[in-house]
Amino acid sequence: MSVIKLDTIDEKIIRMLQVDARTSFKKIADQCNRSADIIKNRYNKMKKNGIIRRSTIVIDPKKMGLGNLVMMGIRIDQHYSDSILNTIKKIPGILVVTRSIGQYDLEAIFLLENIEKIGTAKEIIADLPEVRNVDVNIFVDKPLLCPKNFEFE
Amino acid sequence: MINMNLDKIDTTILEILKNDARTSFREIARKLKVSPDTIINRFERLKKQEIIIDSTVVIDPKKIGYSFIARFGIKVKPAYSTQVLEKVISIPSVIVASKIVGNFDLISISVIKNFNHLYKLRDTILDMPYVEKIEIGMWIETMKLYPQYFLI
Repeated sequence: MSVIKLDTIDEKIIRMLQVDARTSFKKIADQCNRSADIIKNRYNKMKKNGIIRRSTIVIDPKKMGLGNLVMMGIRIDQHYSDSILNTIKKIPGILVVTRSIGQYDLEAIFLLENIEKIGTAKEIIADLPEVRNVDVNIFVDKPLLCPKNFEFE
Repeated sequence: MINMNLDKIDTTILEILKNDARTSFREIARKLKVSPDTIINRFERLKKQEIIIDSTVVIDPKKIGYSFIARFGIKVKPAYSTQVLEKVISIPSVIVASKIVGNFDLISISVIKNFNHLYKLRDTILDMPYVEKIEIGMWIETMKLYPQYFLI
């Protein structure tokens, strides 16, 4: 995939929206000495070409009564099939699953209501014949965001 | 069990803003058939209660020169995790970080340009006082099944 070069205005827009996605285009425009229309066009262009995937709010799942974020690190035998991924993908509460190089072979992030649900999800994975070991890590406190997620070239 | 203190208006606001944080309060008000002021008040309350922690834009890292995501599990000297977390979360290229219970004390998920960048990032964290150990997982073929609940 080719890398899209951003100029200082694009960067400024991203930086301000990373900190507060609801910042008005007018306010960003004032900081860039440009019109709000120019900022709006730039924003829409970055959304269109996929640099900005979306704007969103971060919710504390615990306060919502949805439970805790849980990260599971999974070690598997050398030979394994995609069927493991397919099984994990269907466990209720799954948010993200990925192959991984390093400490684990697979990592999965769940949103699980209570300790029983965490236990059930872990058992489903540990019961798979190719799985050797499952480590469970529970997020405590609220997850924090870095105000500067990206360094620009 | 969903939080019982939230009514239909609150949950609708959360649902709409999760999909597009820039939706105008007027538009949300129209959908719910209430006044924009009601939406503004509810939004402020949700922020005050820390149900809404933050708002942000999600960037596609591959489009601007990053090649993969790495997960760091960080072991910290007991009682210093808050202090280290504050430093970790201020590093550019860290997307999200949190305290965690299990094999590590902190978890951080970062965007990575190349291996050199990965090692530099690891060294930066290792050099912080009270950091004892770092484990790394480099993510490949990541499936984001419900990205609205996790920011990557």
